[in-house]
Amino acid sequence: MNLRQKLLLLLSLMVAIIVAAVAWTVLVRIRQVFEQRDQEETALFVSQFQREFQHRSAEVAASVDRIAASEHARSMAFELAQSGDASPYLNEAQTLAQDAQLDFLEIVGPDGNVVSSAQWPARFGYFEPIAWADQPTFLKTEDLPDGSSALGLFAYRAIGHSESTAEPVRVIGGRRLDRSFLADLPIAPGMQIALYRHEDQSPAATQQRHLGPDMFLFDPKRLIGTAGDVPHADRYEPLINSAFDKGQQTNSILYLTNRREDSVSATAIPLQSDTGAVLAVLVVAISRNGMVEAQQHIRAIAYGVAAGGILLAILASLWIAARVSRPIEQLAQAAEEVAAGNWETHVPQGGHDEIGTLARSFNHMTGQLVSQRDRLVQTERVAAWRELARRLAHELKNPLFPLQLTVENLVRARELPVAEFDEVFRESTHTLGMEIANLKTIIGRFSDFSRMPKPQLERIDANQALRRVAQLYFPATAHGAQATNDDAIPEAKIQCTLEIASDPIFIDVDPELLHRALSNLVLNAMDAMPNGGSLTLSATSREDKVEIRIADTGEGLTPEECERLFTPYYTTKQHGTGLGLAIVQSVVADHNGAIAVECRVGGGATFVITLPRAGESKS
Amino acid sequence: MLRQIAISCIVVVLALPAVARTRPHYGGTLRVEVEGDPWQRPGGLARRVVLDGLTAMSLDGTARPALAVEWKSENDDQRWQFRLRPGVHFHDGTTLTSANVVASLTAICGAGCPWTAIHAVGASVVFTSDSPLPNLPALLAGDNYLIALTGAGNTATPPGTVGTGPFQFGNSSNGVLILAANDNCWQGRPFLDAIEIHTHRSIHDQWLDMSIGRADLVEVPAEQLRQAHEQRLTVVASPPVSLLALTVSDSGALASPNLRASIALAVDRSSLFNVIFQKQGEITASLLPAELTGYSFLFSADRDVNRAHELRGGVPPPGLIIAAEGAPAMQLAAQRVALNLRDAGYNVQVAAAGVPQHIDLTLRRLPLESNQPQPAMESILRAAGLAIPVLEQTPAGLYKVEREILGAHLLIPLLYLPRAYAVSGRVRDLHLGPDGAPALAGASLEDAP
Repeated sequence: MNLRQKLLLLLSLMVAIIVAAVAWTVLVRIRQVFEQRDQEETALFVSQFQREFQHRSAEVAASVDRIAASEHARSMAFELAQSGDASPYLNEAQTLAQDAQLDFLEIVGPDGNVVSSAQWPARFGYFEPIAWADQPTFLKTEDLPDGSSALGLFAYRAIGHSESTAEPVRVIGGRRLDRSFLADLPIAPGMQIALYRHEDQSPAATQQRHLGPDMFLFDPKRLIGTAGDVPHADRYEPLINSAFDKGQQTNSILYLTNRREDSVSATAIPLQSDTGAVLAVLVVAISRNGMVEAQQHIRAIAYGVAAGGILLAILASLWIAARVSRPIEQLAQAAEEVAAGNWETHVPQGGHDEIGTLARSFNHMTGQLVSQRDRLVQTERVAAWRELARRLAHELKNPLFPLQLTVENLVRARELPVAEFDEVFRESTHTLGMEIANLKTIIGRFSDFSRMPKPQLERIDANQALRRVAQLYFPATAHGAQATNDDAIPEAKIQCTLEIASDPIFIDVDPELLHRALSNLVLNAMDAMPNGGSLTLSATSREDKVEIRIADTGEGLTPEECERLFTPYYTTKQHGTGLGLAIVQSVVADHNGAIAVECRVGGGATFVITLPRAGESKS
Repeated sequence: MLRQIAISCIVVVLALPAVARTRPHYGGTLRVEVEGDPWQRPGGLARRVVLDGLTAMSLDGTARPALAVEWKSENDDQRWQFRLRPGVHFHDGTTLTSANVVASLTAICGAGCPWTAIHAVGASVVFTSDSPLPNLPALLAGDNYLIALTGAGNTATPPGTVGTGPFQFGNSSNGVLILAANDNCWQGRPFLDAIEIHTHRSIHDQWLDMSIGRADLVEVPAEQLRQAHEQRLTVVASPPVSLLALTVSDSGALASPNLRASIALAVDRSSLFNVIFQKQGEITASLLPAELTGYSFLFSADRDVNRAHELRGGVPPPGLIIAAEGAPAMQLAAQRVALNLRDAGYNVQVAAAGVPQHIDLTLRRLPLESNQPQPAMESILRAAGLAIPVLEQTPAGLYKVEREILGAHLLIPLLYLPRAYAVSGRVRDLHLGPDGAPALAGASLEDAP
C-alpha cells in the first residue's frame, strides 16, 4: 500500500467516522423525538378514549335513571310491592331495554329475586347476587342463556324508593362490551381497539384462575376487535398478561411482524369489577406505520446525505492525498532512478514548503553526484590510460630489452670474423624473431580484449563443456572422475576432480568462448597451485540457473585481490597481462551470466560462473 | 183496542230486527291472520276448512260421521270398515271414492300408519291391523287423517289442497291465502263467501291489525291470554287441548333411568305455569287431564331438587342439550327448564338453531285430539313418538298403563294449555272445536250483506 493509498484510506476513514457519528446522533435524536411524540399522541388518544368510555358509562347510568324515573316503572314497582305477583312483568325488561337501547336490563324485586330479565328472560325468580353499593356504574360479567357470559357496563337504580319501604324494586341496566360497543366508540385513524376477556364461566378458566395469574393461558382468539379477530393477536400476549397481573394500565410498543412499519404503540387498560378483579383488558393500539415510515424516510435521506458526504470526502481525500503524495512519489521515483544509475534525474521544485525544500535538496544532490561522477570518470580514464601505458610499457619493455641487446650484440658482432658473425647473426635473428613473435602475442592479446567476438549461441551440455576442459588439461579424466596431471613435476602434481551429474544440464552458450573462459580459469587455478593441489570442476543446476564452480586449493586471495580481480590489466602474476579474468568476465557477461569468486586466504579460491539454464521448449 | 193493536204492531216491528240479527247472514270475507302455515299439521286452519276426515269429533269427544256415514269393527277391533257418504265431490268435481280415500291416507302416513293395511272395498274403506284399534274412528277424526285428492294432475292448486270441505282453495299470493266457499259442500254452503288468511304474521302484528279493524280472527297464544284480556280483546279460548311435555331421549347421556327421574324431579312446573304461561292452563304430572281420568292428582307435580341430586348420585353432570318446538314461549320455557336442571347439577344448553346435534330433551306441545281418555292418550303417545300399549278401558287399568309410561321418564308432562283466538265484533257464531281449532264453517259476519 503506497503513501497515497494510506493517506486516502486514513482521510476517508476519518471522514466516514465523523459523518457516521453525526448521522447516528441525528437519527437517535430524531427517533427520540418521534417516540416522545408517539407516546404523547398515544396518551392523548387513550385519554380521549377513556373520556369517551366514561361518557358511555354516564349514558348507561342516564338510561337506567330514565327507566327508574318513568311513571311506568314506578307503577310497576308499586304493584309489585303491593301484590308481590311478578308474573305480569315477565317481558317488561325486554321492552324497557329495547326502548332504552340497552343490552342488559333486569328488574329485581324487593326480595332480591329477578322479576324480569332482558338478557335471560328465563331467569325470573332467581336471586340476583349483586352488592347494592352506592356506585354510579360498574363492570360485571353477565351470564347468558347459552352458557356463555358477556362483559357489560352496568348501572342500577332503585325505582321509587322511599325510606318507608324496606327494600326497593331495582332496575339494573347495562351495555355489552363487545365488538359493536367498540365499533361505536370514536376511533382515530390508525387506531385499533380490542377487548380481551377470558371466559370465566368455563370450568377450565375457573381452574386457571385458581392456579393464579401466572397460570393464565392466553388465547389469541379471545382478543376481539371492531372488525372481528385481531390480526397478530398473539403479539399482544405479554401486554395483556401484564395488565391482568398488575391490574394497572400498561404501555408497550409491539412489533406485529418483522417489518418495523407493522408496529403499534399499545396500551392495555384493565377493566375491573367493583371488587377489583380484572374482568377484561381493553387494548388501544395506535399504528406506528406513519411514524416509522417518516423515520425511514428521514433515515434514507440521512443515509443519502451521509453517503454523498462520504463520497465527496473520499474525492476530496483523493485530491488531498494526491496533492500531498505526488511530490513525495516524484522524489521516490527519482531516487529509484538515481539508484538505477540515472543520476541526471530532476524533480519539480514547486512550493516553498518542506516538500519543495526536499526537492531542491534532491536536485542539488543529484547535480553534485553527476558532477563528482564526471570527475571520477575523468580521473579513472586518466588512470586507465596511465595503467595502459604502464602496462604497455612494461610488456613492451621486456621484449624490447632483448631486442636492444640482440641488436647491440649484432652490431658488436659485426667486428667478429664472418664465421662467428654468422653464428651470432643466426642466433640474434632467432632471438629477434622470437621476441618479435612475443611482441605480436602481446599485441594480439590487447587486440583480442579490445574486440571480443559476439557469442554464437548453441545448446550444449554444461557437463560436457567441463569434461572437455578437463580432458584438455587432465586427459585421464576421460576415464574417471579424477585425474592427475602427469606432465607436471611430481611435487606439483595436481589432482583434478570432475563433479558432474549424469543428466545433462543444457545451456545456450558459445562453446568456444565458454571453453576459452573455462580454460583460462583452469590455467589460473593451475598457476595458483605451483606445488600441486586439488582442482575440482563441478556443474549443478539451481532452478533456472546453472552454476559452474572451479575450485582450487592454492594459496588463495586476499579480499583486496578479490575486489580487483576482474579489473582489466590487474594481475597477481609476474608475467600476466591482467586481461585473462577480464576476458572471462566479459564472456560470462555476454552470456547474461555472472562470475564471482569465493576467497579464502590460504585455503584456495573458487570461481563461480552462473549462467541461465536453457528453456525446456528449446531442449 | 186500536191503540193496543198499534202498540203491538210497533213492538213487533221493533222486534223484527232483533230476530233478524240473531239469524246468521250469508256472505262476506273473514280476515284471519296466523303466525304459521295454515296448511301445517296439526292445527292448520286451512286444512280444517278445506279437508274433511272420515269421521269428525263431536263436542262430547266421540267420533261422529263425516265422509264416512257408518263404520263397524270386526275381529276384536283389528278390522274396521267405513262406508263412505255417497254423492260427495271434491272441489274439482271429482267424486269421492274409496280409492281416493285409500290413496290419501296412504300418502299421509305411508308406512307409519297405525293400521297394517287399508283397502277399498266398493264404497267402503277397510282398515286391518295386527293389533286391536279400538279408537280408530276417533283417531281418523284427527287433523292428521283428513282426506285430500291425490294424483289428480291439477296444477292450479297446490298438492293436498283439494278436499271436500266447506271452503276450497282460491289463490295464494304474497302470504295471503284466499279460500272460497264451496257451494256444493256435502255439509251445505258455509255462511262466509271467503276466508282471507294472512300467513306468517307475528302475534304483535296480528293484534295490531285487530285493533285497527284489519283482521277478524287472530291468534292468542296461551302465554299472552292475560295480556289479550288486558288489551280488551274479545277472546275465545278452548279448554286445555295440548300437553306441554318434555320428551327425554333414552340414549346418550340420559340412558340411565335414574338420571331421567332426576330430571323429572328438577323441573319447576309452577314457574312455567305462573310466569311464562301466565297462569293459563293447568299444572300436571299426568298425561291426561283430571276431567278425563280423575286420577291425575296421584302423580305429583312438585319439584324436589334434593331428590334430583340424590338420583343423580354424584355422577358428574353430563352436558345436555334441550330443544323446544314452536313459539318463543316454548324457547323461554326450554331456557327455564335448563335453569332448573342446572340447579340440580346438570349442565344444560339450549340447542342452537340450525346446528345439527344430539338432542337430549325436547319441549313439545302434544295435542289432545279427543275428549275420550284412550284416544287422547293414544294421540299424545303417537305425537311423542312412543310405543302405544294396549290401553285398558277402565280407569284403574288406564292408570296402571300411564304409571308405567311415566315411570320410564321418557315423557315428562308439565302443563295443559288451552288454545285461544281473538275475534272482532263482526264475527258471529264462532266456536272452537274439541281440538281448539275455530269452526269457521259455522261462523258468519255481522255486517255481511
